Amino acid sequence: MKDRVNKRSGFSPGRYVIETDQLTKRYGDIVAVGHLDLRVRQGEVYGFLGANGAGKTTTLRMLLGLIQPTSGKASVLGAKPGTEESLMGVGSMIETPAFYPHLSGRHNLVMLAKYTGTPLKRIDQVLAQVDLSKRADDAFQTYSLGMKQRLGVAAALLKDPVLLVLDEPTNGLDPAGMADMRALIRRLGSGDRTVLISSHLMTEIEQICDRVGVIAGGSLVAEGTVDELRGKDRLLIRVDQIEDARRIVAGLVGEQSVAVSSEVLQVTASNQGEIESAWLNARLVAQGIAVQELRWDRASLESVFLDLTSGQLRQGKRGQSVIHANGQDQESREVAHV
Amino acid sequence: MVSAEFFLLRCRMATWVLLTVWTLLGLMFGYIVPYVMYRSDDGRPNMLEAMLPEQITQTLLDGFPFFGGAIALILGVLAVGSEFGWDTLKTLFTQRPGRGVVFTAKMAALAIMLVPFVVPLFASGAIAGVMIARLEGVDIFWPDAMTVIQGMLAGWLVLAVWASVGVLLAVATRGTSLAIGFGILYTLVIEGLISALAGTVSLLEPIVDLFLRANTYSLVRPLGGAGSGTGDSAATDGPGAFSGPYVDELQALVVLVAYMVVFIGVSAWLLRRRDVA
Repeated sequence: MKDRVNKRSGFSPGRYVIETDQLTKRYGDIVAVGHLDLRVRQGEVYGFLGANGAGKTTTLRMLLGLIQPTSGKASVLGAKPGTEESLMGVGSMIETPAFYPHLSGRHNLVMLAKYTGTPLKRIDQVLAQVDLSKRADDAFQTYSLGMKQRLGVAAALLKDPVLLVLDEPTNGLDPAGMADMRALIRRLGSGDRTVLISSHLMTEIEQICDRVGVIAGGSLVAEGTVDELRGKDRLLIRVDQIEDARRIVAGLVGEQSVAVSSEVLQVTASNQGEIESAWLNARLVAQGIAVQELRWDRASLESVFLDLTSGQLRQGKRGQSVIHANGQDQESREVAHV
Repeated sequence: MVSAEFFLLRCRMATWVLLTVWTLLGLMFGYIVPYVMYRSDDGRPNMLEAMLPEQITQTLLDGFPFFGGAIALILGVLAVGSEFGWDTLKTLFTQRPGRGVVFTAKMAALAIMLVPFVVPLFASGAIAGVMIARLEGVDIFWPDAMTVIQGMLAGWLVLAVWASVGVLLAVATRGTSLAIGFGILYTLVIEGLISALAGTVSLLEPIVDLFLRANTYSLVRPLGGAGSGTGDSAATDGPGAFSGPYVDELQALVVLVAYMVVFIGVSAWLLRRRDVA
């Protein structure tokens, strides 16, 4: 991989594949992306999570040089976005795949191969990779949405890129198509290739990505692994004598791990193996506490996302802070949004 | 890249429809209609001369400044404007080469694609001329090769300039419909009306001298086009009528090349500068 990156893009290993510094795009008074600091590491599958209109696609377009930032800087594979040095190592699919409707899927790829200097034999490989070989010679305009998406991914893979940028790759796919696409992306990202995938589908991001950045109102509001964002596991215990139960459990697992919320005892743990729930149940019962309910719970990515993004709305999109789920680099900044 | 873009143009039905329409127009107004008129009671003896192979350059060049211009304008619009409609610019601009290279490849392919708009027309004209000569029992003489080559080059340049107008309009309006509308409006209303008025309002003459219509007709006139011969032509009759003032042919050549460079240059600048949203 390192050799490939060096030879093909001049990118120095060890650096971030994508790095933005206060990247901003304004359309008049509207801030589409505001002061975005994004860092994607080499070899990871990075999920860019945000609601519709959060600024995901605008960010990706800036990273590909399709639109110019109003202010701030970005570097992709160590070069300015949109330059030949940057684009030669990047394969991308932004929003709906766009191809010539009167040409076949294969001929569309031939067009792109001629632009990129890719050997034509590679076309059959990528068509097979996305399972489109049988319909490759049909006109693009006859394709279903799912087939168009797959051709878009094939086009993105044509250069055998070191960085793959996919914007909502499962859009419009049926459940089976979505599962296939997820499996394909997992496969593509399993090696040394870096994948940046944007989506508003939590399950998609949860299943595919190593690390996630949550964007809301054009700004990054949280970043970390899915586990970090979801936080620790919680053991929920519903009992009659809640204060007695809290004292007993605190004595067993430590005061700092126990809290009471909505008449339910919450015991936090790094993972479910850390605390033996049956043992805890037995100890409570032995002390004469009637346990009505005892179950493990963990915040879903969806609830975390909704908390983060609704928090943005409550703040009126001002004074945003980036939550780095690993506890590093707490930053705050003022961003004026309209 | 040029081969890819040429392939793209070749595979478009619109290209072949325009080529067919253009060739049929050339044959219709250069040979079929005049021959029908010649065979009717209205026929004048000098009409036959214009339809014979010896006069092929003169006869065919008449149609280039107006009809050819309109066809080339539409081709230029479609070659670039459709990319906006299909959203394919984002696909092309995220491949390896920069925007300038992509645009250059497109322009080169368009320039090549204009060759079939000249050569087959001349070939069809030659066949039509021979057929008419045979029908009328007249000896067949051919013009010298240099005249034909000069005629073809002049015809190509006229089409190329109009195609570059189409490219500029397509890039400026980011599409096809408005660009074709503006182009036809400009050709018929602005240039047509002011050119017609220039005959009576001398103040307008310097402006008309800079028009594509004046310069394209002035370019083809020395080669026998623009109604220089019989007076019965697309140059002097119909919606593209132009009766002067003509400019010097060298000036026409310089002005047309300059226009083409400016139109292509501005298009490239716009395409490089603007966001692809």
